[in-house]
Amino acid sequence: MDRKKLFVYFLGLMFVVLLIGLADLNVLQGAKFRRLSKNNCIRLISQSGTRGNILDRNGKIIAGNRISYDVMILPQEPSQLDRAIAAVSRILGAESKELKAAFKKNFVSSSLPTTVANNIEPRKAIILEEYKVEEPSIIIQPKPLRYYPHGSSACHVIGYVNEIDRWRLTKLEDYGYKTKDIVGFGGVEEKYDYYLRQEEGGLSVEVNHRGKFTRVLGFQPPVNGRDVQLTLDIRVQKIAEEALSGRKGAVILMDPQSGEILALANYPDYNPSVFVNKRPALISALFNNPDSPLVNRAIQSSYPPASVFKVVLASAGLELKKINLSTNFVCPGWAMVGARKFSCWDTHGAQDIIRAIAHSCDVFFYKTGLLLGGQNIHDYAIKLGLGRPSGFDLPYETGGFIPSPLWRKINKFQKWYDGDTANLSIGQGECLTTPLQLTAMMAVFANQGYLPAPYIIKAVGGLDLEKKKKRLSPVAFKKGTIEAVRRGLREVVSDARGTGNALSALPVAVAGKTGTAQVSRGLSHAWFVGFFPYDKPKYVICVFLENGGPGHAASVIARQIIEKMNNQGLI
Amino acid sequence: MRNSFIRILIIALAIALIGVLSIYSSTYQKELALWQDIYKRQILWLAIGVVCFFLMSGFNYRKLWDASYFIYGLALLLLLLVFSLGIIRLGAQRWLKLAWFNFQPSEFVKLAVIIFLARYFSRKSESDISLLSGKFGIFRGIALPFVFVAVPMFLVIEQPDLGSGLMLLLVFVSLLYLTDVRLKYIVVLLVLLLAPLPFLWNFLRPYQKDRLLVFLNPNIDPLGAGYTVIQSRIAIGSGGFFGKGWLSGTQSQLYFLPESHTDFIFATFSEQWGFLASVLLISLYYLLIRQGFIIAKRTQDSFGKLLAYGISILLALQVFINISMNMGLAPVVGLPLPLLSYGGSSIVATFISLGILVNIDRTRAVF
Repeated sequence: MDRKKLFVYFLGLMFVVLLIGLADLNVLQGAKFRRLSKNNCIRLISQSGTRGNILDRNGKIIAGNRISYDVMILPQEPSQLDRAIAAVSRILGAESKELKAAFKKNFVSSSLPTTVANNIEPRKAIILEEYKVEEPSIIIQPKPLRYYPHGSSACHVIGYVNEIDRWRLTKLEDYGYKTKDIVGFGGVEEKYDYYLRQEEGGLSVEVNHRGKFTRVLGFQPPVNGRDVQLTLDIRVQKIAEEALSGRKGAVILMDPQSGEILALANYPDYNPSVFVNKRPALISALFNNPDSPLVNRAIQSSYPPASVFKVVLASAGLELKKINLSTNFVCPGWAMVGARKFSCWDTHGAQDIIRAIAHSCDVFFYKTGLLLGGQNIHDYAIKLGLGRPSGFDLPYETGGFIPSPLWRKINKFQKWYDGDTANLSIGQGECLTTPLQLTAMMAVFANQGYLPAPYIIKAVGGLDLEKKKKRLSPVAFKKGTIEAVRRGLREVVSDARGTGNALSALPVAVAGKTGTAQVSRGLSHAWFVGFFPYDKPKYVICVFLENGGPGHAASVIARQIIEKMNNQGLI
Repeated sequence: MRNSFIRILIIALAIALIGVLSIYSSTYQKELALWQDIYKRQILWLAIGVVCFFLMSGFNYRKLWDASYFIYGLALLLLLLVFSLGIIRLGAQRWLKLAWFNFQPSEFVKLAVIIFLARYFSRKSESDISLLSGKFGIFRGIALPFVFVAVPMFLVIEQPDLGSGLMLLLVFVSLLYLTDVRLKYIVVLLVLLLAPLPFLWNFLRPYQKDRLLVFLNPNIDPLGAGYTVIQSRIAIGSGGFFGKGWLSGTQSQLYFLPESHTDFIFATFSEQWGFLASVLLISLYYLLIRQGFIIAKRTQDSFGKLLAYGISILLALQVFINISMNMGLAPVVGLPLPLLSYGGSSIVATFISLGILVNIDRTRAVF
């Protein structure tokens, strides 16, 4: 009988074991299993919104979106992955090894589809979509991709998009940016990324053990990015780009009445779509190019303004009454400043202010400069918007530099000599300006005395920003000063010996100033900064050629641009 | 006594009805009409089972004594039939296809072997009416009955149905322990059974090996053999205290859990009804089995006593192994949970056993 009792106890023990096992699974490890159970049956399908378009002033798309197709795989079991990869490699003609490597690289979680190939041809996407019947783990995900209908046009203004880098990520993490996000680099894409960027949406769906959809659990609609409208006119932009093409430099066209940038062209340029299509060879070529095609020369680098700076001298001299309209200086081809002989580029004879501007006589401005003194020149340069960033809409604008005796004393513990004044008077030496600054400066003489704050963003998400823009700030020059400089600038073109005479044949009356900046190495930089039509200026134009030779070269390009604009009825 | 009849019937019906609900919940989402009807078939089998229960409870169990050799022979014949059909059809078979249902002889073979062993060990000496089993030598006490168990066991394992085969062995050892056969013989038997296990390993089918290895560590092969155990543990564990609610079990209803209506029905049940109800279900099983042991204890007739013990042990072992298997405490061997799992043969065989149990109690009262 003992045996039987023992046996009954043994059986009782079995039930105790069952209860303990149940409590272990349900109570002790319950939370873990509940989590596992959720992960088992929930799949997340992301749906991306589209990045906002970048439009020109007339609503034409400069950077838009097109649909691309990605191949994703969501395997339920390992053998399914191999089959799916084999099928994808057969149809795409890609190495299955590469696909597998891509799968490994992009794998996040078994509940999320993993991308193995990006941006495949639509025809192949259709084939793969058909193939899904046999291999349900293959997913074709349509995805909007940046698309540039005008190719490299305005590339420096819009910038490019790429995967976020570490530096930007640390900066932007707090604003909801994540690794592998596509963000803008340079230009509007970077500065207005927060508005342009789309919000990811997605479905969370319940699936069964085969990964087959059973029902939708939640839906977060994707949000499209906001469109950014520029003040750029793509037609003018293209004219500027065509004229500049092949010459290192920058061209800016601006409305002097408002400060709207109508064209901002740089050369060398690049096609931003290489970043979209992920061509590593082309991308590294861009970064390694010694001509730095990614740099927006119009705002990101500064150059000696050379003779264009004489406009500052002329206005300062007239304003401070160091000279007047009847002041004459004789140019024998050189001038003695202290013990040093400063030469002029030509022998001009007797020059008044108008002719000195027209002929770009160095001697006249050496003497004016010496009358003014270095600090006055600096102050007037600052007044005219030089030596400080203009607060432009695009990132990484540089402020340029205008030296002054005070600065020299404070920072270098050195004296300021008259030779420095003479150098500054013709815009050489330490003096540096960006093409954009000179454009804004020239606008003062086009619009009778107001310094504009140039801008390129017209509207964001349909909201017009024009009213929020800074008004033009008056420089408070006397009418006579502006009128005299204007006349001088007109003479530059109209005078037979004027440095900008190349522009005289145009049907439009152009005024402006050329500049030839000597550089320590290579050809001089060429400038032409002007406005047209002379009576009622609609455009300020700035042509800058890096190592482009004498200022004449720049005025030739300006002529081409104005000619074409006139032909197309844009003036 | 009518008391045990009512108790057993109520408990068994309660468990079986829970089973029908669970089967419905685990299959109602499947597309095929075949699956949709599965709970109806279970109800039908339940009805047949209850009828069998009533019949057997009125059928004097002593007649089984007379028929035990015949029953044993019939069971062997059915197994051989399955075996030979398996050879003809070039594939393993557990079922005999009858007119509209599949008949699984191994469920009845378990009962037949218990009846046979109960008779074998309850024979009495002609001289002093004492049980012969106490005087059995090693041959008649161990070897001979082992051969009688081993033949159907081999046929069942060959089907292949490792679970039922092992069940036969366990029931045999348990019954042996409950008879007067000397303990040292049993020890010898156990040693003899366990010693060649490493060699028997080679005779197992690959999937059976996988299952045993996976029992030791389910994560060896999470998407293969270990999948079921992992999913079943998730199902039980995620149920929580009150469960996810009927028809809301994601594990079983979204088909993550294979065999959710047969071997792994406990996990299905537990996921939906939670810890509390699972404890209740296990308690119900305990009460049912306790009834069996109470009957066995108060039965004087040694055949009836052994039979009652055998039936109770069979039930207890099946419940224990199946639920442990669901929790990952025992290897997956393919064994239904009596009364809860889908399967006509299993439910009818269980009700027949319970009927016999009730009849043993009732007949005892007649004495």
